[in-house]
Amino acid sequence: MMRRTTVLFVFLAAALSLALFSLKYRVQDLEDEFVGLNRSILAERRAMRVLEAEWSYLNDPARLGPLAARHLGLRPVESEQLGTLATLSVLSSGRERAPRTNVADRNTPRLPTPSIGGRVIR
Amino acid sequence: MSRSIHAEAWQRHRVRLEGTRKQALETGRNRLLVTSVVFALAFLAIAGRLVDLTLLGRGAESRLAAVAPARAATSGRADITDRNGVILATSLPTVSLYADPTEVLDAEEAADKLVGVLPGLDRSEVLAKLTSRGRFVWLRRTLTPTQQYAVNRLGIPGLAFQRGEHRVYPHGRTAAHLLGFTDVDGRGIAGLERRFDETLRRGGPLRLSVDLRLQAMLRQELSAAFIGSRALGAAGLVLDVRNGEILALASLPDFDPNRPATAGGEAGFNRVTKAVYEMGSTFKLFTTAMALDSGAVTLRDGYDASRPIRVARFTITDFHGRNRWLSVPEILVYSSNIGAAKMALDVGARVQRSYLGNFGLLSRSPIELPEVAPPLIPARWRDINTMTIGYGHGIAVTPLQMAGAVATVVNGGIARPTTLLRRPDGVQPGGRRVLSVATSRQMRALMRLVVLRGTGRRAQAPGYRVGGKTGTADKLEGGRYRSDASISSFVGAFPMNAPRYVVLILLDEPKGTDGKAATGGRVAAPVVARMVRRMAPLVGFAPVSGEETPKGAHPLLASLNPPPAKVREQRLAAH
Repeated sequence: MMRRTTVLFVFLAAALSLALFSLKYRVQDLEDEFVGLNRSILAERRAMRVLEAEWSYLNDPARLGPLAARHLGLRPVESEQLGTLATLSVLSSGRERAPRTNVADRNTPRLPTPSIGGRVIR
Repeated sequence: MSRSIHAEAWQRHRVRLEGTRKQALETGRNRLLVTSVVFALAFLAIAGRLVDLTLLGRGAESRLAAVAPARAATSGRADITDRNGVILATSLPTVSLYADPTEVLDAEEAADKLVGVLPGLDRSEVLAKLTSRGRFVWLRRTLTPTQQYAVNRLGIPGLAFQRGEHRVYPHGRTAAHLLGFTDVDGRGIAGLERRFDETLRRGGPLRLSVDLRLQAMLRQELSAAFIGSRALGAAGLVLDVRNGEILALASLPDFDPNRPATAGGEAGFNRVTKAVYEMGSTFKLFTTAMALDSGAVTLRDGYDASRPIRVARFTITDFHGRNRWLSVPEILVYSSNIGAAKMALDVGARVQRSYLGNFGLLSRSPIELPEVAPPLIPARWRDINTMTIGYGHGIAVTPLQMAGAVATVVNGGIARPTTLLRRPDGVQPGGRRVLSVATSRQMRALMRLVVLRGTGRRAQAPGYRVGGKTGTADKLEGGRYRSDASISSFVGAFPMNAPRYVVLILLDEPKGTDGKAATGGRVAAPVVARMVRRMAPLVGFAPVSGEETPKGAHPLLASLNPPPAKVREQRLAAH
């Protein structure tokens, strides 16, 4: 009886220390991973700061303006280029009633032809 | 009592029965019992703690997990962003190179190698540093990653890197005067960087009221005018009249905050807040507003502007002289100094002073910048001062104060503090009523008239109803006014039926072209017009077609010929 109990306890002790051993190493691994993740989060955040600064730099209106003017032929919007829904409804209602008349001939406000770089968009 | 006697008897009986040799065994057994009880208690305690830790949950583990997340990632100095969150100033990680001279083996060789990979380093200077006695010398601040790699590859002992931060302004000159800059150690030493140094250092982000798009627009347009007119300096400002937010603020010449060395002298001087100017005719807005508001005149009154006024050694003349009687609207529209001086005299020194004070023109403006100048006001407020101040001479204010006061005139008459920080949406700061709603409405009509019919015609932006006032003031130098150097400005607001923004443009000593004087109407008003045309679609204004008043004679400009029945008796007769 005593011996069987002893064997049982020795076995239990061995099993528990084995479990403890593996658990300890698992925790250590997790901690290493955690530290690694933290480090990479820091690195990512640092990179994000740099990228945000670069994004802001690249979007500088003083830089984009000349670029858009040179490569896209874009210019600041003029007030004549702006219309409202009301202008549109005048155009469309005019078309419904008299589909064949030229819109420009009917005393309605003219919308400028949109263009990119001097080329008219159809 | 009987029980103890019994036990005694029993013990005696046992002792007697077992004998003295067994007594030692008995003691041993007792000790064993005590020990096992102690052990059992200890194990029980351990078991109890185990149960506590594992089953009852509130153990150390969860507390550990709560501590764990790395918060070290927050970097030192906080960002400054514009009202839409675009980064205007940020801190980037960088490394600086330093040396411990006692550990450098061969200073000559080290200096040669370093100069080879870090252009811009002076060999003799590096050598002097490397042979110095100390244990720490900076060799170069803020290295690029490539340079750091190159220095590392040299493998010189005694060199080391210090991690640090470097302040970066992605938009360079665009908002230079607003942001200011920091020194190499990251302390703000100018502009908002200095004013909010503590906040930024603690990591509190700063959100400005400035809109970067408008800021870039303003700087571009101002710069074109500045170069085109070969002026000494230029200042521009866009202000929201409803809550006093500054949407754009530019001063030229400017500097690049990424290179603080460029901020010396004139370039580092913020002309919007730090410079005071005698504004000239734009002050007639305030004279007219206070005259109407205090009841000194009505729109139907008029003054004799046919002859120059001579007071003491001064002569007040008109630039756009009409040499006849002028009604109050005409005085503003044609910018008559004589009329404004007489009107100011009718208002009186005391009332004039109190109105100007209420407009915020007599005290330092409460703006969040360290570079703010107080206005220059006369020490003694005599009648002659009242008259000259009536048309903007003899008092010098900053362009910021000017714009703030005009915002008060057009926004319904309420003075609100100007700010560079974004106010929460829909929150209007408390203001102080300076003019009545009716006066403000009259002033808006008059300002619109200046642009439609008067000196400010070049400020017209089709569809956006700009109103404003031109100003051309001779510069004061060494106690004399120079007729060849002027401060030319235009202060406008739009849309005039319900003003939202005040735009102010000021040029310091612009040069005229084709022999024409560089007046405010000629050089500053067109800049305001371009600015309005470009910014209006961005801030959400659709152009309005059609004009609000019919062509021909404007009702406010009804001719005053012959002079009206109620012509003010001139107090000037006394002078």
